[in-house]
Amino acid sequence: MRPKIARPTGIRAVVLLALGSVLLAACGTTPATHHSAAHHSTHASAPPTGNPSSQVTLNEAGSTLIYPYLQVLAPEFNSAFSNATLAPGPGGSGLGINDAIGKLVQMGGSDAYLSPALAAANPTLLNIPIAISSQAVNYNVPGAPDFLKLSGTLLAQMYEGKITNWNDPKIAALNPGATLPNLAVVPVRRLDSSGDTFIFTSYLTATNSAWSSGPNEGTTVTWPPVSNELTANGNPAMIETCHGTPGCIAYIGVSVEDTAIETGLQEAKIENKSGSFLTPDQTDVTAAVAAAAGSTPSDLRQSLIYSPGTNSYPIVNFEYLMIQEHQSDSATAQAIRTFLDWAISPTGGATSGNLSAVNFVALPTLVIPKVETAINKITG
Amino acid sequence: MLRRRVGAGGNAGPYSAPSIGRRRLADGDLTRRDRFGRAICLAAALVPAALLLFLAGEIISEAIPVFTYSGWRFFSGQIFTFGDLYATTLSHHNGITAPHGAAYGALPFIVGTLASSLIALAIAVPVAVGAMLALTERLPWRLRSGLSVFVEVLAGIPSVAYGFWGVLFFGPFLAHDIYPGLSRVLAFIPPFRGSVGAGEGLLTTSLVLAVMIVPIIASTTRELMRTVPILAKEGAMALGMTPYETFRVVTLPYVRRGILAAAVLGWARALGETMAVLMISGDLLNRLPSNIYGPFSTLAGTIVDLLDSALTDATGMGVHALAALACVLLIITVATNLLGRIIIRSAAGDLVLPIGRGI
Amino acid sequence: MRGVFRTVRDLAFWSLCILALLVVVAPALAIVGGLLQQAWPALNFHLITATTANGGLQNAILGSLLLCLGVLIVAGPIGIAGGIYLAEFAALRRGSLLRLGYETLAGIPSIVVGFVGYIVLAQALHWGFSLLAGILALSTLVLPYVVKTTEVALIQVPTTLRDAGSALGLSRLTTLRRAVLPPAIPAIASGLVVALAISLGETAPLLYTVGFTDQNPTLDLFHSPLAYLTYVVYLNSTLPTKLEHEVAGAAGVVLIGLLLLLIGIGRAVARWSARYSASMIS
Repeated sequence: MRPKIARPTGIRAVVLLALGSVLLAACGTTPATHHSAAHHSTHASAPPTGNPSSQVTLNEAGSTLIYPYLQVLAPEFNSAFSNATLAPGPGGSGLGINDAIGKLVQMGGSDAYLSPALAAANPTLLNIPIAISSQAVNYNVPGAPDFLKLSGTLLAQMYEGKITNWNDPKIAALNPGATLPNLAVVPVRRLDSSGDTFIFTSYLTATNSAWSSGPNEGTTVTWPPVSNELTANGNPAMIETCHGTPGCIAYIGVSVEDTAIETGLQEAKIENKSGSFLTPDQTDVTAAVAAAAGSTPSDLRQSLIYSPGTNSYPIVNFEYLMIQEHQSDSATAQAIRTFLDWAISPTGGATSGNLSAVNFVALPTLVIPKVETAINKITG
Repeated sequence: MLRRRVGAGGNAGPYSAPSIGRRRLADGDLTRRDRFGRAICLAAALVPAALLLFLAGEIISEAIPVFTYSGWRFFSGQIFTFGDLYATTLSHHNGITAPHGAAYGALPFIVGTLASSLIALAIAVPVAVGAMLALTERLPWRLRSGLSVFVEVLAGIPSVAYGFWGVLFFGPFLAHDIYPGLSRVLAFIPPFRGSVGAGEGLLTTSLVLAVMIVPIIASTTRELMRTVPILAKEGAMALGMTPYETFRVVTLPYVRRGILAAAVLGWARALGETMAVLMISGDLLNRLPSNIYGPFSTLAGTIVDLLDSALTDATGMGVHALAALACVLLIITVATNLLGRIIIRSAAGDLVLPIGRGI
Repeated sequence: MRGVFRTVRDLAFWSLCILALLVVVAPALAIVGGLLQQAWPALNFHLITATTANGGLQNAILGSLLLCLGVLIVAGPIGIAGGIYLAEFAALRRGSLLRLGYETLAGIPSIVVGFVGYIVLAQALHWGFSLLAGILALSTLVLPYVVKTTEVALIQVPTTLRDAGSALGLSRLTTLRRAVLPPAIPAIASGLVVALAISLGETAPLLYTVGFTDQNPTLDLFHSPLAYLTYVVYLNSTLPTKLEHEVAGAAGVVLIGLLLLLIGIGRAVARWSARYSASMIS
């Protein structure tokens, strides 16, 4: 179904669009991307999207939080556009950022936006969000009830080694009446350079002055030495390690949360800015994003952590794809623009079915124009 | 013991060629094609040395900024961190700029590498030597080739397969069945006390490393046992010595130095082992291991673990820090390799030693 | 008459030694057994027809084989030529120096080679994750073995053959080609087999030079991440589901199967060329 496009800005746009649609008609593909062109009202001549003229493989690597989502999107995208193939891969957000900077892949997946130093060193690297995700905190304490209430301060103290046992009075104070066994707390952290680490430590930094003056936030931080702390590479390995270690506590991206629950891990309720204790779900993540959506900067590097609002979940983030402005050739650039436009469009990739398969939420409508401005900067 | 070298023709020094049937022909009769061929072969023979110099040079030059920044604290400091990479301030020291809060102390990794490899060696040498003794001296010779196969199997198994076995089978088995008992029985020795963990740690890693280096020591021992003169052994038996006494009095002096050299080579292998250690060491950061069951880190494992984190450091010091770890590892392994070869060449010049993995 | 003490001591010592032998045999069985046990449900044709994105191993097997082929092409000729120089042409001191060079190279940990490969080849030369970077890293590790086995093989050939060639007025190269090399070929072939076996089993040098991908390998030398079997074992061992452990075990079993195949090919080549050179001499 081709929606009719009304563009108030002149003949160039119409001619380009006409050429674009002729190209698409010739290739015989479904132009789902044109739906988003309705928002291109400020651009005189947007670069073309649609099936590229030659075979392009889009290599992606990085965040294990966005990876399941890309695995859901890839088959649909690959069949919608015959000349473009999306090839996602895991490896951690740090790897995604590095590979995008080093041009080892076309798109680097990251839950963390670029640090100030990296952004200054790579001014042509775009941070392009395609979805909203969140993070859960899971624990494995046989005998304790599900949905224990934990605050940022408690979590920070667990990861600093100040709370060493699950029957600590501070935990009991937040959870009156809960049976807490005598079991050592085993914090599990990410070993690879990780966007999950970034958003978790951002939460700890926002809630704890001790943590913010100490390890602070980052994809890799100076973790306080805790003698029985365990490490894991990637979200799935966090699940595996926590599953095998009674007493563990781990921060796990919401896209693999279903696997975590199936493996038997328990989910915690995290304290937000208003003092409510929440687990991540569609409503409270959307509430968190709505508060911040109006103030997104044009480079799209924004933290959504600890948003105000009674029902806002505190650990929420943009899922970014790091992409160089200048690609190796125009076919690749077109393929990337096509993918991005398709991915953020509710009739393309961002369907409620795809998003809920990985517990993600769609980008807020206020942010989409800024995202599209960024997309149009990608040229080949 | 005195050993005559056959066909020696002037061989001397630790790196001379084995002297079996070797005699140099005069160079005066080389044709043009011969000289051309020789030049090509010389170029090829220079490639390993050139690669070695290139690798060493590259690692050392990448590592120098961190040595300048941290000085001796690199070897004594326990905290290894790239700093606060999302901060906007930087720290300067000795003319080098690094991220705010960066500290490059490699002591836990050096201790971890040395501890795991030495424990592995202490276990592997008696086991390998004892096993080969049993095979060559005591058991019927028909069993020899059959049982030797197991040594070759161990040598050929890739190190990720060792890690797989350690993570999924051996580690959990040790943690559930062996360690609780061990920590009770040996509780009077401090490192054996305390929490037993889930199987990923120093003792498990050392045990798996021991299994990995057994082939090097075993195959060298087996070769060495063959060089012992039969007449001396038979004489001892004729005098009424038990097989054990024959071994101790006659065989051991012949093979002692060779076993020492093989042990040193096995140690070098354990020092450089990366993948299996990565999978079962638990990767502890910023502190020394608290007991023998707990997680720890090694130089090689940390390089793999932290490389993608290091690359997000825009100042570049992260990569330099890992290069410094690689530099220390390189120096330790090269030194132990050279030591092993010097020991063997000065003792049993004709023995062809295994290199690297010992296959 | 032997004293009781001596007999008991003798018995005790050899019991310990036989125990040690069992300790050597047991892990070999345990590791192979463990791999087979984990891999058993996954061992079917799906492994060869599907890529790692769908629980198969096709791209990993092809990638590993491609890397082996590359190592054979790069390290084989250089190593053999180097070994020939050391055995046939080198003066004593120069030979010792070169020998020191390759034995030290053999001792360098594979992660250091991979690290330098990443810094120099993938980053500084902008090759990205590439087939060529992986081949060069593996060749660096494997070269000492090829040089060494070639050298030892040639030294084992009796000098009478060289003398005979010289007496007949043949040039050095011709004697090498016709008389000295053929008897040495079985040993050289086994050296190459060892080299390939090592390439199959290595991971650390490939982690940051070749990357990983779920696609089948292309023959591009640059900007071409590959899959390889050892990485599948490494990665999947840390993942939570049973299926992933099974794929890891299957990758391990395929690896060991390929190693056995290599050893078999090596032995066959050795036997064939032994027969060939025997027919030449007699």
